Amino acid sequence: RLTSQGLRRLRCSVEFLCRPLKQPTWKIQYQSVLRFTTSLPDFIAEIQRDSDAGSVMSPAGCSHVNGFKVDNWKQNLRVIYQCFVWSGSVETRKRKAKSCVCHLCGAHLNRLHSCLHCVFFGCFSKKHIHDHAKNKRHNLAIDLLYGGIYCFVCQDYIYDKDMEQIAKEEQRKAWKLQGRSPPSLMHNVVQLRLGLINLGNTCFMNCIVQALTHTPLLRDFFLSDRHKCEMQSSSCLVCEMSQLFQEFYSGHRSPHIPFRLLHLVWTHARHLAGYEQQDAHEFLIAALDVLHRHCKDDNGKKANNPNHCSCIIDQIFTGGLQSDVTCQVCHGVSTTIDPFWDISLDLPGSSTPFWPLSPGSDGSVVNGDGHPSGATTLTDCLRRFTRPEHLGSSAKIKCSGCHSYQESTKQLTMKRLPIVACFHLKRFEHSAKLRRKITTYVSFPLELDMTPFMASSKESRMNGQYQQPVDSLNNENKYSLFAVVNHQGTLESGHYTTFIRQHKDQWFKCDDAIITKASIKDVLDSEGSTHKRTQ
Amino acid sequence: MFNRFQFLFQTNISRESQMRAAINQKLIEMGERERLKELLRAKLIECGWRDQLKALCKEVIKEKGIENVTVEDLVAGVTPKGRALVPDSVKKELLQRIRAFLAQHST
Repeated sequence: RLTSQGLRRLRCSVEFLCRPLKQPTWKIQYQSVLRFTTSLPDFIAEIQRDSDAGSVMSPAGCSHVNGFKVDNWKQNLRVIYQCFVWSGSVETRKRKAKSCVCHLCGAHLNRLHSCLHCVFFGCFSKKHIHDHAKNKRHNLAIDLLYGGIYCFVCQDYIYDKDMEQIAKEEQRKAWKLQGRSPPSLMHNVVQLRLGLINLGNTCFMNCIVQALTHTPLLRDFFLSDRHKCEMQSSSCLVCEMSQLFQEFYSGHRSPHIPFRLLHLVWTHARHLAGYEQQDAHEFLIAALDVLHRHCKDDNGKKANNPNHCSCIIDQIFTGGLQSDVTCQVCHGVSTTIDPFWDISLDLPGSSTPFWPLSPGSDGSVVNGDGHPSGATTLTDCLRRFTRPEHLGSSAKIKCSGCHSYQESTKQLTMKRLPIVACFHLKRFEHSAKLRRKITTYVSFPLELDMTPFMASSKESRMNGQYQQPVDSLNNENKYSLFAVVNHQGTLESGHYTTFIRQHKDQWFKCDDAIITKASIKDVLDSEGSTHKRTQ
Repeated sequence: MFNRFQFLFQTNISRESQMRAAINQKLIEMGERERLKELLRAKLIECGWRDQLKALCKEVIKEKGIENVTVEDLVAGVTPKGRALVPDSVKKELLQRIRAFLAQHST
């Protein structure tokens, strides 16, 4: 039954799809992470805004540098860095030792600054450089200890991309001269490669944790310390996640042992307790549920109303699924919208009927990649998920228009898309008759447009048109893949691994404590049981 | 009498600052200042001082609000405590290094 191709593909993958914000949040530097506002929706909106426009912390610096950036300013700045800040050679050091003293009080410490417009050194602590700036209207000065540029109009250090570039280059040059290698920029580099030790069949938890810690908005939330804990004991899962995030991004390289996390999940989600084989998807839902229960919304109220919660979990993961029941007699439509954290998709080969929706998907033709050209796609599964379904004569619905029980059709569509969408391919079949794993390969794209599956697109679909959206500039419904969780093996014994994307196109495979580099092809070749995409 | 004492006092102060300047010059010239800076940085990270300062900074930021806080606010809010938090062992080690250096390069 298993062909060689089948053997190769005997892995399930769970993909996490995220909608990219207008500019991906993983590009935000650590400084921006501290930019939180008082309300959570504003926080998220602000990240979106910051990604577009410049902000106070943007690398465009302040406008007052423009007066400085004239003529041969780059070379002048380099000379200043070489001679007075990062003095690398013997001559420059001698010169620095002699001349770098405050012109007013002779101090050589006290946060000495050099004026950028003339040859003047003044100390900061006694405000001698401030006096100079005011008297001469020289607005810029440079800190001789760390090389930061201070603007007296903005009254703060500013970050100008061009000037930072020069500073870094000169620093490297000076280090080279002194035979030093640059220290690892631990405060800047986001270490995304932290392995998780398997505590005995806990790979189902590890894979989800890897995916969650690499969810950009969640990362920003936890790294900016937004969770204010109300729980007395140390049993708050949100606090534990917060610590986990801090650990992940602290630059530590040795693998993390998630025993506290495991214990907390056992405590709060009893049905998962025990060392039996567990399902990663179940864990995801349980974890999100506990996190949601332990979160407060930003107004200080306990988040116990599922319809009006504004906790970070709901902000990121909750979407709205619209269910339309149409009476076949009077064509009246009854609509409900339910929140969802994931979209569970049936697969071909399951006992529920699935019809091929893409042409030629009988699996017989093989293209160069080794995949049947008619392989089922994620889009096929989504089309099936959102198709109108006749409920049959044994499942008549009471129609409020007809005032009687009538046959009806039901259709599911997306009313409101979450920022992070989790697609779950139902590979594990547990029916009364059998328990098995469905190994059908499902191909999935790196980018996914959900527009055809929106409630607003229903009309064109009812006419049988599955068009590509005309307006491809509209990114609102577009998702970009950032995590894939794989399951290898059988229902009885198997192993979970995760592919994680860092930056735009670098992928890593997380196999418990072992993190290795992966190619996009590895990712796309894997089967998917849960997909996470970010908008 | 009082004036002379004051005069002596003043001379000593200026001689002290002269000495400081001379030491500092030497340290910079020989590149030792940079090496000491690196050593100090490593020591302060090791003993957890940097993490303590980070926490202090976060408090200042929360107090002032992220939109308004300046580097000056942080410096002013954190420096006194920060200085006090440096462990004696670190201070001792740095002093020893400087003494050894001066002994080696005394003119």
